[in-house]
Amino acid sequence: MLRSCRRTSLLYSAPRFYSSEAPGKPNLKLVAELRKLTEVSVTKAREALTATNNDVKAALEWLEQDLIATGAKKAAKLEGRTANEGLIGVCVLANGSGSGRGGARASMVELNCETDFVGRNELFGKLLADIAHTAAFISEPADTDDLLVPCALDLLNDAPLISHSDPQATSRATVSSAIRDTIAKVGEKISLRRAVAVAREPFAARDLGLRVGSYVHGSVGVPTQGRIGSLALLALKSDGLREVLAKPEFMTDLEKLERSIARQIVGFDTRMIQSPTGEETETALYQQPFMMFADNPNGETVEQVLRRWANERSLTEGLEVIEFRKWTVGGEEVSSTPSA
Amino acid sequence: MFRSQLASVNAVARRFQSSLAFASCSRRSLPSSQIASTSQTPFSWVSRRTYAEEASQKFSRAKPHVNIGTIGHVDHGKTTLTAAITKVLAEKGGAKFTDYAQIDRAPEERARGITINSAHVEYQTDSRHYGHIDCPGHADYIKNMITGAAQMDGAIIVVSATDGQMPQTREHLLLARQVGIKKLVVFINKIDQVDDKEMLELVEMEMRDLLSTYNFEGDHTPIIMGSALAALEGRDAEIGAEKISELVQACDDWIEIPPRDLEKPFLLPIEDVFSISGRGTVCTGRVERGIINKGDEVEILGLGEKIKTIVTGIEMFHKELDRGEAGDNMGCLVRGIKREQLHRGMVIIKPGSMQSVKKFQAQIYVLTKDEGGRYTPFVQNYRPQLFLRTSDITVALKFPEGTPDAEEKMIMPGDNVEMVLELVHDVAAEVGSRFTLREGNKTIGTGIVTKILETA
Repeated sequence: MLRSCRRTSLLYSAPRFYSSEAPGKPNLKLVAELRKLTEVSVTKAREALTATNNDVKAALEWLEQDLIATGAKKAAKLEGRTANEGLIGVCVLANGSGSGRGGARASMVELNCETDFVGRNELFGKLLADIAHTAAFISEPADTDDLLVPCALDLLNDAPLISHSDPQATSRATVSSAIRDTIAKVGEKISLRRAVAVAREPFAARDLGLRVGSYVHGSVGVPTQGRIGSLALLALKSDGLREVLAKPEFMTDLEKLERSIARQIVGFDTRMIQSPTGEETETALYQQPFMMFADNPNGETVEQVLRRWANERSLTEGLEVIEFRKWTVGGEEVSSTPSA
Repeated sequence: MFRSQLASVNAVARRFQSSLAFASCSRRSLPSSQIASTSQTPFSWVSRRTYAEEASQKFSRAKPHVNIGTIGHVDHGKTTLTAAITKVLAEKGGAKFTDYAQIDRAPEERARGITINSAHVEYQTDSRHYGHIDCPGHADYIKNMITGAAQMDGAIIVVSATDGQMPQTREHLLLARQVGIKKLVVFINKIDQVDDKEMLELVEMEMRDLLSTYNFEGDHTPIIMGSALAALEGRDAEIGAEKISELVQACDDWIEIPPRDLEKPFLLPIEDVFSISGRGTVCTGRVERGIINKGDEVEILGLGEKIKTIVTGIEMFHKELDRGEAGDNMGCLVRGIKREQLHRGMVIIKPGSMQSVKKFQAQIYVLTKDEGGRYTPFVQNYRPQLFLRTSDITVALKFPEGTPDAEEKMIMPGDNVEMVLELVHDVAAEVGSRFTLREGNKTIGTGIVTKILETA
């Protein structure tokens, strides 16, 4: 009741602006509309409408131009603050052997902000999804020993942003400009802390396959974003691998196993795949009881389960975890040493 | 490419045993601090906090106590507002001025063994005593709610007039919903930086719309516009100090006083049961809430029983009483009941005031290993011991129905999760009841009931 009164009074007063006030005095309704469209601050929306004489379309363009300057200014102002909250986002564009063309393409990105309120916001989640997609997309297959390669942040920052929800869409934004836009909207420091990606063409050898497993823990909305994330690479070797990979039930099982491995890495204090000296340690993945694998009634280790799993499915030379990365928001990097 | 494989079964088997230790959970009782009723917390919290510096001041129980918090964007002036409130009230003798720097530290503290970042100040108005908390993040407010360290009865949402509501304001309101706050007061800050009054109207209108969207009474919620900085610097009283007084008045008028323990229906958790020859069966325990008079009809509930009877005698310190009330450690003589019928873990209540539940949904915080909790994650169907008041019951944890990939989901130490708890025996509980989860001798989690799903 009260609100409806207020509304009417606003509507009433709106036309008055045109006649009695100076030209270009922004219309309240339009300010509200502009804010709904862009989520900019009240002051900015008002400025835009004043500059464009209450033309919403022109105001939108004005804002876009203005964001470049003010976004950068805002970002510079917040530069000195610490951003320790945020999310880890994972984007898998190609799972590896057996799906699509058989190549592997995936990325993991950490984007920081100041409070977990912003971290839970949709805008932030969308930005992270887009950056993760971009990082996975732009990585070049390189002939390095390590399969998981850190992305150069300055390169990624200048890359054109690819929308995760609509990769075909063309946009003028780059990763860094998109970050600046979001800073201007949420008013918190946002920084891209690190990114890692894997990009591999299918192997030439017919008996060798590569798979990507990923898991993100502590998701709020989007299941591929959370507080702890892992990317794990598995290698399969077997005679007649192509035929095995063609079986749908094998692929279902394999995907389940990949997810379990990635979960195991996140859930336990995993720091390496195998202990280099051979001593017993709980931080070596292969020596941990594989608790995150459902079909493990006897509490076998990851190593034992992998061997059993490969035997049951007659993979002649088996299945190995060859590399992984595990990140916690604001935490240190945990990565496997690559296999010899 | 493939590395040589090394077997190490023994170490792993040992570790697996330890992580499955809940199978052989002991039935030891909790230290009383861990199941301390929430009723006494607000008072002792605030008074204890200032104990060292101001031991000369006495805490008065004359005014009802209310806990409020400030929620808002980092740059919108939460801390300045809090400091301004203490300054304005200090002039009236209702607070000790706490400046910006002192509040902004948000020290880490431990409640029920859980680490929470939050800053506290206290102040009083003519009619109430307030405990005011300010946490940096969502997770801290949730922990506060679960542990009951400072259960918030209301909150002040701070929004800057220059920005208006921001994308994350939605998250702020969702949080308020989640921690069970029913009434909010909005403070639109920094109005001296906006020269166009129409813009203030817009900010207010948008705020009311948003409040209504999240089921807070948008049309009636008090919205105060002012400048916390002006109040703090002692200038422009009409937008400074006066507005702060108005804000505090709005809190007094709008935010409801939580019902006091004495006003709630009677509840006595049974700690022990004795049989006294010639007199009958006596239950002992500490009255959690309400009042009991000799001759009152009561209901004894829990562990499969639901018995109606009459209290024929009340005893404290070996003396007979006619009346017992919240906080009393008393013995309670019940008519016509055999000792074998009663057990620790049941409750004596005002008839019909509570139900015995077998299955409920709860918000749980899982302790990290630094807090003394588990080292490893767990999955659905994990079975720890549930300690609720004096009861100790094995419980199975499941994800709420409709959770995607529930069989693959895991819960890690440090997580806040909503879970469904299925009890082996029923126990008297209601929405808002707090409990702890233990495994072996470790507290692994603590939680609060959010929804009753199945009663006995």
